[in-house]
Amino acid sequence: MPDIEAIKSEAKRLLSEGMVEVMLAFKAGETPLHPQPAFFRTPDDVDELVYSSLNQNNLATYLTRLPKESKVSMVVRGCENRSVNALVVEKQKSRDNLYLIGVPCEGILDWRKIVAKAGEAVKSVNESEQEVMVESRSGYYLVERKELLHDSCMRCSHPNPVSADILIGEPLAESDSNLAREAVEEFEALSVKERYAWFRKEAERCIRCYACREACPMCYCTECFVDHIEPRWTESGATPAGMQAWHIVRAFHQTGRCTSCGACERACPMDIKMTYLTEKLNHDMKEKYNFETGLDAQTKPPFATVTLDDKNRFMV
Amino acid sequence: MNFILEKQALPDLLQTWRANFDVYLPQNLERFTHFMPLAAEGVTVINEPHNTRIPPKALFLPMTETLVKFTRFGGYENAKHEIEPRIVFALRPCDAQAVQLLDTSFLQVKYSDPFWLERREKTITVALGCHEPCDNGFCTTVGYGPFNKADLDAMLTDLGDFYLVETFSEAAETCFNGFANASETICVQALEVQQRAHDQMPVAFETENLKEKLEQNFSSNYWDKVSLSCLGCGVCTFLCPTCFCFDIVDETQRRERVRNWDSCMFRTYSLEASGHNPRPSRVERTRQRLSHKYVYWLDQVNQIGCTGCGRCVRYCPVGLDIRSMLRQAQSLPFEVSHAS
Amino acid sequence: MAERPGIALFQCQWCLFSPTDQDWVDNHLPNNIYLTKTPCTGRINPLYVLNAVQGGADGVMISGCLPEQCHFVTGNITARRQLEEFNDFLNHIGYEKQRVRFVWLDLQDRGMIQKELAAFEEELKNLGRAANLVTRMKVAEGEQNA
Ligand code: SF4
Ligand code: SF4
Ligand code: SF4
Ligand code: SF4
Repeated sequence: MPDIEAIKSEAKRLLSEGMVEVMLAFKAGETPLHPQPAFFRTPDDVDELVYSSLNQNNLATYLTRLPKESKVSMVVRGCENRSVNALVVEKQKSRDNLYLIGVPCEGILDWRKIVAKAGEAVKSVNESEQEVMVESRSGYYLVERKELLHDSCMRCSHPNPVSADILIGEPLAESDSNLAREAVEEFEALSVKERYAWFRKEAERCIRCYACREACPMCYCTECFVDHIEPRWTESGATPAGMQAWHIVRAFHQTGRCTSCGACERACPMDIKMTYLTEKLNHDMKEKYNFETGLDAQTKPPFATVTLDDKNRFMV
Repeated sequence: MNFILEKQALPDLLQTWRANFDVYLPQNLERFTHFMPLAAEGVTVINEPHNTRIPPKALFLPMTETLVKFTRFGGYENAKHEIEPRIVFALRPCDAQAVQLLDTSFLQVKYSDPFWLERREKTITVALGCHEPCDNGFCTTVGYGPFNKADLDAMLTDLGDFYLVETFSEAAETCFNGFANASETICVQALEVQQRAHDQMPVAFETENLKEKLEQNFSSNYWDKVSLSCLGCGVCTFLCPTCFCFDIVDETQRRERVRNWDSCMFRTYSLEASGHNPRPSRVERTRQRLSHKYVYWLDQVNQIGCTGCGRCVRYCPVGLDIRSMLRQAQSLPFEVSHAS
Repeated sequence: MAERPGIALFQCQWCLFSPTDQDWVDNHLPNNIYLTKTPCTGRINPLYVLNAVQGGADGVMISGCLPEQCHFVTGNITARRQLEEFNDFLNHIGYEKQRVRFVWLDLQDRGMIQKELAAFEEELKNLGRAANLVTRMKVAEGEQNA
């Protein structure tokens, strides 16, 4: 775990020296499982700042909600840093207006997995490098950290922030970049029928609350295709056609823009899996165009690049 | 009438009901429970200590429902839905209360919603009281409770090996026909369990003068503070058992006019054709959501429009908590209104 | 398969260099082929393809110009990147990859479109009716589809 005091003192310094107007991080929530994203504006506010592996959201989603010119600092993990870069590439924020406090990330603990293990009424969660101690109504549970990690974090290959202005804590070892690929290949080894059955089963629980959209830093369109009325792109209700179209197109619009942070999946109130869709797209972008989202703040995603190098690929 | 229902006898009873009713009860769906029709193979009755993820309002107001079918040339006919008599089993008191609250909106003297009405008339509700109160629910705070009996046909109290069944309607009595009557002692025992559960629930916030405070601070920056990290998704409203807004849409490709759940937390909810939006940001939308529950419902039917079910607390993706929002509201300045 | 497979044809309006071919596409397509003409393949939003798939198309054909011959310079390259990926993505969730086919046509390719469509139809016959992802509710019986 990084040194929280070090994060706080850096945050206080930035705010008191007027280098930034607002600091984006988490504060303790009403319940131990749900720390809340918070906006700190004065050095005193920063006393409330917390950092733990229970911080579920990708804070970059708030960047496009703040005035474009505002000077912002953020506590970023690996994926959040990459999302910030992707937003900079898309000119949603100028890198000059950002100050990133980077924290090497040990992975997010999925609160659903915690509840599944320890039962209702979780009173406290204490984590160490290897293990997590959960206290709930039914007693104490000592669980291996791996077992509680969110699925997308288990496959993460870039836990370290790539372009932080200051890094708090020692960089972690880069993890195995094959894990994500293997997950995609495993899914694709299923038959067409099985793959569709899986997709249908996940999509049919959707209630179209759009929490996945709002939680994603890259979903910042003022008007989403599902909200568009003339023409209407897809059925509006919770019908199979509508739900499936939502899942397909939401994911597809993330091609070359998704950082596999998993925030969409964690936000979903219906426990719907979504990263098996975006992982496929990320995998393809890497295979076909050697592109990974957000590794720097300059490279445009493949769909925003046209090159005649593609010429020889036309006749397939 | 009070009956005794052995837990062992329950699966058979549910199957017996299936002869004449569609029986809906919470069943496992992924890692949560969901109201689904009982199949012939039977099912283990789930004793999860809290309500289903999707509230049973969905059984009366489906997420998507066809109202009218039309043709290309101006013809149309009202949609018909085949609704069989049904028993909704093991819904929780908060959710049953919510259905009653929604009646005030859907069943009015002058106009009532035909689909809602038909579903209500054909449904027998058998609730399961919460002898072990759930985490994050706060039904007692808002004046209801884990054994709140409003608008139920029957209520079950878990007493170990058996349930005490209290019936409040003739229809429900028929459902439990043939079961042994409960003795005085058992009823007293049940009452104790009910009282204990009630007392276990902490007071989440004070409701006194809450309405005045929220109302009089309509323009306060309190709203900016509590809505800051809100994402503007539909989780809290779609999962709320008392939220009932819908949007009517023409699905021209299949020529149906449908209504879909809608949420005041969406930008498009209040967006006008001109492009003007009277609730331009999450601040106004959060204010609308809270005020609807804690001010406008009181104005309209003199009941708080939140039953304390705890869903918005549990599933908000950013951990926003209505209890803490309302606790913060307690320190807002206000004047006692002198309306007689 | 008794009926001929339904094919949604998205055609860039510039890609058929021969007026005879264009006339055939415009006026003599067999009725199992539904034509959507676009100003450029770059205009083909993946959502159009999805709409065809959900509506029950057994196959989708996209015809456009070769690289360096695009009327709008790079429309076809953009389209190819997106639509090819969309095809792979649909395949990922259960719409067989062979059901989407691209034809990039050249000046000399007279009569090619007919041949390509015929070959595609043969392949689709072997694949059978598309079932996965076909979710759009049908309009009431007896009504003509718009
Ligand atoms: S689509 Fe999901 S995993 Fe990808 S960036 Fe958005 S929230 Fe993260
Ligand atoms: S968050 Fe889940 S339920 Fe809500 S729209 Fe997204 S996938 Fe559907
Ligand atoms: S669930 Fe939370 S984030 Fe979503 S609209 Fe409600 S309060 Fe806002
Ligand atoms: S506002 Fe929240 S706690 Fe109250 S009834 Fe609705 S979902 Fe339940």
